[in-house]
Amino acid sequence: MKGISLDVLKDAANRLMFDMSEQEYQTLLVEFKSLVQQMESLAKIEGLENVEPMTFPFECSTDYLREDVAEEPLPRDEALGNAGSISDGQIKLPKVVL
Amino acid sequence: MDYLDMGIAEIHSALVKKEVTPLELARLALQKAKENKENAFEYICEAEALEFAATLVEPEENNLLWGIPYACKDNFSTKGIPTTASSNILEGYVPLFDATVVKKLAEKKAVLIGKTTLDELAMGGTGTTGHKGTTFNPYDPDHKHLIGGSSCGSAVAVAAGIVPFAIGSDTGDSVRKPASYGGLVGMKATWGRISRYGLFCFAPSLDHVAYFTRSVEDSATLLNALAGRDEMDSTSSFQPMDNYASGLGNELKGKRIAIINGILDTIRNKKLISAFQKSVDQLILAGACIDYVDFPTELLHAIYPTYIVISCAEATSSNANLDGIKFGPYRGGATYQEVMSNARTKGFSELIKRRFVIGSFALMSENREELFERAQKARARIVQVTNQILADHDAIYLPASPSTAPVVGGSSDKLSDERLIADNYLQIGNFAGLPSITLPLTMLDGYPIGVNLTGKAFDEKNLFGIAKSVERITGLEGLDVNVRKEALL
Repeated sequence: MKGISLDVLKDAANRLMFDMSEQEYQTLLVEFKSLVQQMESLAKIEGLENVEPMTFPFECSTDYLREDVAEEPLPRDEALGNAGSISDGQIKLPKVVL
Repeated sequence: MDYLDMGIAEIHSALVKKEVTPLELARLALQKAKENKENAFEYICEAEALEFAATLVEPEENNLLWGIPYACKDNFSTKGIPTTASSNILEGYVPLFDATVVKKLAEKKAVLIGKTTLDELAMGGTGTTGHKGTTFNPYDPDHKHLIGGSSCGSAVAVAAGIVPFAIGSDTGDSVRKPASYGGLVGMKATWGRISRYGLFCFAPSLDHVAYFTRSVEDSATLLNALAGRDEMDSTSSFQPMDNYASGLGNELKGKRIAIINGILDTIRNKKLISAFQKSVDQLILAGACIDYVDFPTELLHAIYPTYIVISCAEATSSNANLDGIKFGPYRGGATYQEVMSNARTKGFSELIKRRFVIGSFALMSENREELFERAQKARARIVQVTNQILADHDAIYLPASPSTAPVVGGSSDKLSDERLIADNYLQIGNFAGLPSITLPLTMLDGYPIGVNLTGKAFDEKNLFGIAKSVERITGLEGLDVNVRKEALL
């Protein structure tokens, strides 16, 4: 397991597109020490190597085609109603290609 | 005591006899919601509820939910009604569609009177982390005790007699634990039994729609209304439905019930153990066969870390859409990355960020196999052992929590066996997707505490039958803060 340090925690946060205050990182560093202790208990379970990882409680496959029914799409003003930055009927963001 | 402290069937009878109207019930529920001091509501749907209730004139005799007021956790989409999941990152968000459970209840003509508080984005178990602050336990007017979370507001709405039922969600024990602290029946059906369309995703392999009532009978009534395949949720089950209320009169004779030694043994509260053992004696007298069974200790210790790793890891992707661009407060920035980062940095609370960092850490390429995949393998082993026990038993029976409602700001030894095992074992029900119901056991020093029954997948009818027998033993059907009942145990 990767060692815990402030840099590792900052990297983990930045990968998820947010930041924290220095004090919040310090609190998290303390919490991680207890957490790592608990996570290590997973390593003590014998015979897990050949167990298939469980991703869902049951097999659930939905493999059918829905009926091809014509529907009204979401009106533009409704679709944009929750966006905080809009212009000319579209969501407006800073330029991606400068 | 008033109509809203009664059970669904009793209120229905009064509605059918026109002793009371849906509009009068809605007004009463809205008034109680507005007067509530426990911080149960994010948004009270006054105009919407009154408008809808006024349309309900001719009672539908065969529809138990006709005109019944209810509340819904604020992490379900409700068209035209602000929905924040108690997080600043969704401040001002108004959904464009109804969650399937909300739609089904509207079709049954139940009346939504409010959206309830939760731990931010349902990621917590205390009811203290929502953007509106702590939600308190209605059994303590001094507000020194918690109701627990994450479905804290929905639990208060039912325990305080504001509504007879409320919708919540349960990813670890977010309905079944507050049910224990609030003297309620908290039910989580089999994974896939109730559609999750419109429920804000936390950890999709563990998330369940769940709900609170004040009796097992009402719980069965609700499942009859909410269960069923939904094409809008690809994980909803094709399994045929039962009439879930039809097994309530079943006898206990011949039912096999397992008690897991390694969980029960960690509980230190002697009064709780005594009441629990008395209930076991009564179950035996009623004809049930009780077996004390073992569960590998290393797997019991693995429950909490398995849950934390899987839930936090899944949450990182489930919440990736919260970017402040399509919805939620737009905070600006020089690049689109900065726009997202500003929205998320300001929108998430510290606790949520900490959980996301745990998830991000578990998914790092260097840790993925050792943490995330290992947790998924531990989950598989825990589920395998649980299903082995249930292969020979109708249900697993245990105290739902090792203590009554926690004190605000209280601390506990996070690494004690009681905390790690007895306080977290309900997560097994989420790992395995099993139906699981909490109901009141007794009152200890003025506060309720519950027991939990977990059954086989899609065996809800049988589980309700056993739960009804426990309810007869405890005598605590219909408990709320206005209807204090004497515990028999």
